Amino acid sequence: MPESAQSNVSSNKPFPLTPKPFAPDDEAALREALKRCSPSTFEAAVQFRKTGNADHMPAVVIGVIERFVEPDLRAKLKDADDDLRLIEDLGIDSLTMMEIVILVEDVLQLTINNDELRNLRTVGDVKTFIDCKIRGLPLPRPTKFLPIEHIGAVMPVQPPFLFLNEASVSSTGANGKYKITGQEFFLQGHFKDNPVMPASIMLEALGQLAVLFLLEGSPAEPGKAIGANTIYFTGCEGVRAHRMCKPGDILTLSIKPKRMKMPLATFEGAIRVGQEKAVIAEDITLTFAYVESAVAPAMINGAAQPAPDSENGANPPLRVAINA
Amino acid sequence: MPRVFITGLGFVTSIGNDAATVAANLRALRHGFELYPPFQKPEIACKVVGTIKGFSTDSVDPEDWTFPAAYEIKRETIRSMAPHGLFAHCAFLQAVADARLGEADISNRNTGLYAASGGSPMLTYFHHDRLLKLGPARCSPLGIVASIVGTLNFNLVAAFRIQGASCGFSSACASSAHAAAYAFDEISLGRQARMFVVGGEDGNRDAILPFAGMRTLSLQTDPDLASRPFDVARDGFVGTGGGVVVVLESEAEVARRGVAPYCELVAWGQASDGYNVAISHPDGAGSQLAMEKALASARMAPGDVDYVNAHATSTLIGDVSEARALKSVFGEKGDRPAISSTKALTGHGLSLAGAMEVGFCALAMREGFIPGSAHISNLDPACEGLNIVRTTRAGAPRVVLKNSSGFGGANVALILRGT
Repeated sequence: MPESAQSNVSSNKPFPLTPKPFAPDDEAALREALKRCSPSTFEAAVQFRKTGNADHMPAVVIGVIERFVEPDLRAKLKDADDDLRLIEDLGIDSLTMMEIVILVEDVLQLTINNDELRNLRTVGDVKTFIDCKIRGLPLPRPTKFLPIEHIGAVMPVQPPFLFLNEASVSSTGANGKYKITGQEFFLQGHFKDNPVMPASIMLEALGQLAVLFLLEGSPAEPGKAIGANTIYFTGCEGVRAHRMCKPGDILTLSIKPKRMKMPLATFEGAIRVGQEKAVIAEDITLTFAYVESAVAPAMINGAAQPAPDSENGANPPLRVAINA
Repeated sequence: MPRVFITGLGFVTSIGNDAATVAANLRALRHGFELYPPFQKPEIACKVVGTIKGFSTDSVDPEDWTFPAAYEIKRETIRSMAPHGLFAHCAFLQAVADARLGEADISNRNTGLYAASGGSPMLTYFHHDRLLKLGPARCSPLGIVASIVGTLNFNLVAAFRIQGASCGFSSACASSAHAAAYAFDEISLGRQARMFVVGGEDGNRDAILPFAGMRTLSLQTDPDLASRPFDVARDGFVGTGGGVVVVLESEAEVARRGVAPYCELVAWGQASDGYNVAISHPDGAGSQLAMEKALASARMAPGDVDYVNAHATSTLIGDVSEARALKSVFGEKGDRPAISSTKALTGHGLSLAGAMEVGFCALAMREGFIPGSAHISNLDPACEGLNIVRTTRAGAPRVVLKNSSGFGGANVALILRGT
């Protein structure tokens, strides 16, 4: 590997594959370090330190974050999805973020650099980041928040058939929100004197979020970009509606890529209203094609990301995340 | 020039954690000394400290601290505090309630905060030791703001969203007298309408023990005898900590809000010994000049002063030096003014002392008494001729002079007048 210690990829030290023996002294130190965390956090940390199994990591990270969140905000974390924002939703400032990092470093025996922290905006970002650190994988690109203006500018779908008010896109998936206003034209007839959001439209909204992911979140090959007008719906499976959605409801949508191989991309999707499950789709498959891009593909947050190095076999972050 | 009034007080001190308790103990001459557990070791010769009761701040982790349930402090606020930051935070809440200030009265462009503390030696040591042993990556991002001199103003200004003037003062044991003095200036020059004056000290092992290295601490093992300013057998001061907040407001603000002030802060003066880094001038030259300048600024004669709350800390040299300065200003004979050192009850609060004792004077003026100078069995002959009152006197002093002196020979005199 060339001497490029500045880049995220090369500064990312894998966790030793054979964990150090976990001595009673270590357990006592761990118990002290996590004394203000829940017992389950401590248990997960012990398991992680004993086995090196990264499956225990999310419980540790969430437990550490919870310990630094004001008690009245902790409820949010209990039922949190990965899109919960650290600053806006949990009141965590950059100093608290550092406190979290120091404790996570201590407990998981990692080293995290300052410049790696800047882009961690959501609970999901933190989990993904730590997971990549532990597995020695390249770090993902940060979550990008898209206001409605941006969504409207890049999407082939437009009002009155656009069902996203805001969205965030990361390399591992996308989240969005849509508020049912009651003014939607189809609610006049669906149903008579009883406006209910059609399940087919909710599926459409998930599909739109997947389109947004393809356009804004997925890594293109050098010199190529996914063409906005090449993306179409091909099929879906395992769709279940759990809850009627009516005017005033705010739909929280999320999709995650499951498989992606030109020309098909398959996603799983879910819609919630508050904490209630509304719609689940096990598979939503879209077809897409690349077009020649005049400029380099737009990078999330404009962060200069080194192009995947085919010689040393490094995978782009998305593929790694999917394979993980 | 706008006149300046004291409208609110808050106390966390060795003699009480609220104004009523403090006033009662000042009047009854009940001290706040105890044999301090960390000092009960053979290698530590001094034993007595003016301890803070009801708080536990021994841990280097603020989340371990305990304090009276009446105070609610969020983790994000307490995490960057030194122990004295906690004391002062609680005193601040008391002072705000005492002055009947609302949130908008505290956080606005015409309200500022001046503070004084010696920083937190305990936290400075802890964080620095960790830095050198474990490296910066394992250090708290808030180690600096919790420990350096200035930690008091950093924390309070942020916690209470102060928007006006803010600053820390560092003239050792004259620090919070300087803070009060310059806060007075802010208002009398029309720059601010209201100022919080804050003094604080950790008052723990790490804050007090270094003075044993200077041989300035009393080695008395009897808490009733350890601090006795002006007594011939005094053998050094007794350390203490705490937090005190004094609210100063302009005449216009007092009228607008319709509050009854404790007293008026009339004027102040300062002067330096120009003599020694740590030893006070044998004749108290700087202290004398500070008092004379304060009186001149107040357009008062020495005979106008009813009571002097002395700096006297119970050290051998310092008390005599101040006594000589007092004689130079007020004359050898006569019964005016009454003089006492309340450090006989509290111990020496270092950077906290000036603000704490201004608070005591304000309490005495409102409640109508002059606290006696406790624990004097045999007055030092060098103090003869001064009216050092050994018992509490009834009746409110009308004009009070408050002395403070610090290292380097810094001297401040503040003049208060009853309303």
